[in-house]
Amino acid sequence: MNLDAWIPLLVIASALLPSMIIFGLPEHRVRLRTVLNLSGASIKFALVGWMLWGVYHGHHYEVRLALLPDLELVLLVDMLSLFFVTLSAVLWLMTTVYAIGYLEGSPHRSRFFGFFSLCVTATAGVAMSGNLMTFLLFYELLTLATYPLIIHRGTEVARRAGQTYLAYTLFGGAFLLLGTVWLYTLTGTLEFTPQGFLSGIGEEHRFALIAIFALLIAGLGVKAALVPLHGWLPQAMVAPAPVSALLHAVAVVKAGAFGIVRVVYDVYGTEFARGLGVLAPLAWLAAITIIYGSLRALFQDDLKRRLAFSTVSQVSYIVLGVAIAGPVATIGGLVHLVHQGFMKITLFFCAGNLAETLGIHKISEMNGVGRRMPWTMAAFTVGAFGMIGAPPVAGFISKWYLGLGALEAHQGWVILVLAGSSLLNAAYFLPILHAAWFGDPPVAWPEERDFGRKETAWALLLPPLVTAAMALGAGLLAPLSFSPLGWVKLIAAREFYLP
Amino acid sequence: MNALFPSLVLLLVVIWPLLLAGSLLLSAAHSVVLRFAPWGGLPALILAVFAPPSVSLHLPWLLLGTELGLVDDTGRLFLLFTALLWWVAGMYARAYLSDEPGHSRFFVYFLLSMAGNLGLILAQDLASFYLFFALMSFASYGLVVHEGSIEALRAGRIYILLVVIGEVALFAAMVLATSATGATEFATVRQGLAQADLRDLIMLLAFIGFGIKAGVLGLHLWLPLAHPVSPTPASAVLSGAMIKAGLLGWLRLLPLGEVTLLQWGEAFMALGLAAAFYGVVVGLTQRDPKTLLAYSSISQMGILTMAVGLGLAAPEGYPAILTAITLYALHHGLCKGALFLGVGVVGVCRGTQRRWAWFAMWLPALALAGAPLTSGMAAKFLLKAQTVNAPGPWVSVLQTALPWSAVATTLLVGRLLFLLYQPKAGAVNHHSPAGLIRPWALLVAGTVVLPWWFVPETPTLWSQTTVLGSLWPLLFGAVLTIIAVLWRAHLTRNPGAMPIRDGQTPAGYLTPRIPPGDLLIPISACIAPALTYGRRLANEQLPRWLDARLASLRRLWFNVDWQRIIATRESSLNHWSKTMVLLVLLGLIIATLGASQ
Repeated sequence: MNLDAWIPLLVIASALLPSMIIFGLPEHRVRLRTVLNLSGASIKFALVGWMLWGVYHGHHYEVRLALLPDLELVLLVDMLSLFFVTLSAVLWLMTTVYAIGYLEGSPHRSRFFGFFSLCVTATAGVAMSGNLMTFLLFYELLTLATYPLIIHRGTEVARRAGQTYLAYTLFGGAFLLLGTVWLYTLTGTLEFTPQGFLSGIGEEHRFALIAIFALLIAGLGVKAALVPLHGWLPQAMVAPAPVSALLHAVAVVKAGAFGIVRVVYDVYGTEFARGLGVLAPLAWLAAITIIYGSLRALFQDDLKRRLAFSTVSQVSYIVLGVAIAGPVATIGGLVHLVHQGFMKITLFFCAGNLAETLGIHKISEMNGVGRRMPWTMAAFTVGAFGMIGAPPVAGFISKWYLGLGALEAHQGWVILVLAGSSLLNAAYFLPILHAAWFGDPPVAWPEERDFGRKETAWALLLPPLVTAAMALGAGLLAPLSFSPLGWVKLIAAREFYLP
Repeated sequence: MNALFPSLVLLLVVIWPLLLAGSLLLSAAHSVVLRFAPWGGLPALILAVFAPPSVSLHLPWLLLGTELGLVDDTGRLFLLFTALLWWVAGMYARAYLSDEPGHSRFFVYFLLSMAGNLGLILAQDLASFYLFFALMSFASYGLVVHEGSIEALRAGRIYILLVVIGEVALFAAMVLATSATGATEFATVRQGLAQADLRDLIMLLAFIGFGIKAGVLGLHLWLPLAHPVSPTPASAVLSGAMIKAGLLGWLRLLPLGEVTLLQWGEAFMALGLAAAFYGVVVGLTQRDPKTLLAYSSISQMGILTMAVGLGLAAPEGYPAILTAITLYALHHGLCKGALFLGVGVVGVCRGTQRRWAWFAMWLPALALAGAPLTSGMAAKFLLKAQTVNAPGPWVSVLQTALPWSAVATTLLVGRLLFLLYQPKAGAVNHHSPAGLIRPWALLVAGTVVLPWWFVPETPTLWSQTTVLGSLWPLLFGAVLTIIAVLWRAHLTRNPGAMPIRDGQTPAGYLTPRIPPGDLLIPISACIAPALTYGRRLANEQLPRWLDARLASLRRLWFNVDWQRIIATRESSLNHWSKTMVLLVLLGLIIATLGASQ
């Protein structure tokens, strides 16, 4: 095995090892734990940087380990998986810094960080899976690793949310397993292949393939929070802010969305899937989710709950772009995987800051908070405008390519969905901004902690500022080749739509 | 001077006000930066005056590939009056808000809006235009709600609602246009749009998106609420400069001069003319001078809308029409700015100073009415000269309507001067009227002088017929105004002449009142129930329906007695096995029989 093959394993290990060690650490070893966390995150970051350079120049990283007869555990780094791994590496680093600041002095931190790193391991595995079986393994690992994080607070509400989460995701996993096994009996392979591996299958299996597609999407749709499988997500927001941030931006919902990308492009192939007629219903489902999520977000007073419904809506942009399945729409959908990550993680960090610093959980308590915490709210504003789709924040670029792609694929109705979603996003984000910047601050905040002259702790303030800057940069500098958009264009050109 | 320097200034036009706004947020530098804040428009002013005929800057790495430039006279004149207005308004605002706590917050939004407004004039591609347009629109929300009163908040709500609708319409228009033409540069898009399949849809969306900003009739509802409630210097830039961004958007995107679009032209002309008179009629009923001025803006923008319609219907005459539009925009921008600022000045001055200020208001007021030898006369003359390009019957319609709109405008400014003449009780006395007067005086002087630089040399402009032609609407309007004032005085002296109901004169008899926002009131009355229903639907009924479906699924699952079912299946399997054995035996027998044959 040469060095190239080791790198994907090292990426997995960079999160898995710290996780294992941290589980064994006593609660008071704060410094060691911090060092482990940060070095793990930094190593992963560096490894990903190395692979980015390599893949850009045509290198190929692949590991195959025998798992079952005829079935291998395949870790594969192609451009698409690297795209997702990079997102998880960058945001893991941010979230780790944030979580260290956020959980300072609270109990059960070893447990928390252990599962936190495990969760990131699973995400990296999901990203680098080279076949559906490997994907399934890590996907299930992700389910299990996330559960302790959701119930971390141990309250009654948290436990109920955890139960709901498990009920949804275990069923989802079962569907996925069923679909995967059925598919294997038909094809004898599960390797992700550009443009799919099903085109050789005879016409007589048409209905089986449609049913399998439905099973796979149902399984993945649970995590991607497609309506009506989204019920767990708004409840899961009882988790601590860094968990919510990671859940909504990278780990869970994105694993679902990423799985859908894999199924459509690398299992079925867009042409084949269109021939089966399964893409149009998926697009409609995504459209319904986009509008429904926004409608529900409109009426939530709890800030994190509103953000959660907003995630339901925004993640379906990815699914929508994938389901339209034209070259340009693909770019719009895929790039939103990263863009939504940047923006949503910023929003959740900011929500966490408000809760940690001032004890604010509800939007109705946010009056005048812009004056007390200008930097936090500046970052929040960037994220909110990005969600609305206003330039120059990254959300605009996603929407632009989705719109262009829909028109290119002669699906003009998508423009209506995008427009409606923008209107609704404005309707639920702008009142927050108004309250924060123009409202009169109350005499006393619900539960204020003193940070001296700073508005809050550095570890809490820096991550949202960095991610907000990234959301801004990803939009402003979109034409550059190393921007998310540039990378996605390369993916579309090299892997999905070969010239 | 090499070519680098102008491009650098080009960038500074946007970056400088943004930098100032950013550094205002840092509390350390705050008081120094505040002093520089009015000068945010300086690079723009320098560029407008000194730039070589064509400057452009291609930034392919920015947004969707950005093209900034000052490539034509339209851009240059727009930049000139916009920068001038922002600069004067900035100086004015320093004095106007000097003792307010929200001073620096105001300037943050002021500078952000400024950057957007100046940037969009330089934008030569869709995406950057949209970016600056959005920046301006969202940031000026801060100007509208600055006072924090109930009216300001209401105006802000309606403003932001229409901004968002406009943004969405523009987004759709731009995606469609880019998809149809394969480009984002205006120059290419305009040409391609002329032949595009979805041309009409794109034009409709652009009409709405930009029309909201320009206060087109029907989309103007926010304007008479938002323009007056903001602090006076902000009203001046809202009504003088930012309103023109909508117009500029049309000029940039619509395929003007490329193709004859008769129906679109007629629609624009009809709507424009209607607005020209509607604005005056509703404006006359207003008591607040600033609201009246906002309605006057609707009316004046109506004339510009009409002119755009002319360009759509008569592409061959478009270059000359564009000159007329640009000059009219410059004239109106400066006058409206001077009038708004003047309302503030007259409000704070006392005694002789006040009288002088009142008289000085006549200058922009007369210019707006198109009095002889003013910029208004020149602008109206140039526009009227182009009406011969209009299709068929429209020539005579326009040539009749334009002078009458001047009559109407005269009436409106007459009413304005009348309102200002009466001292307003309880006006806030600011520390230094001088700080307000100086920038205002500069702008008034600019109103008188500046437009003449750009009026093309036209011999007929100075002919007797032209001057006299501009005189009669003014005189006629003046006579009507005087009659109205006298009639009012007569009524006030003899209350017996007024009808009496329930022992008193009905409110609003002297001047009937139409509430600002006019059509908004019936419209919101209609929309309110729909909103309430929508809210219920989205927040209660839909989730409840979904939950019920899920619950019934759950019931389905849990209500089934799985144990019993499994038990019976199992026991039936027991029987089955016996049958199976028999079946297998039977199969074996048949098979052996078959094999033996």
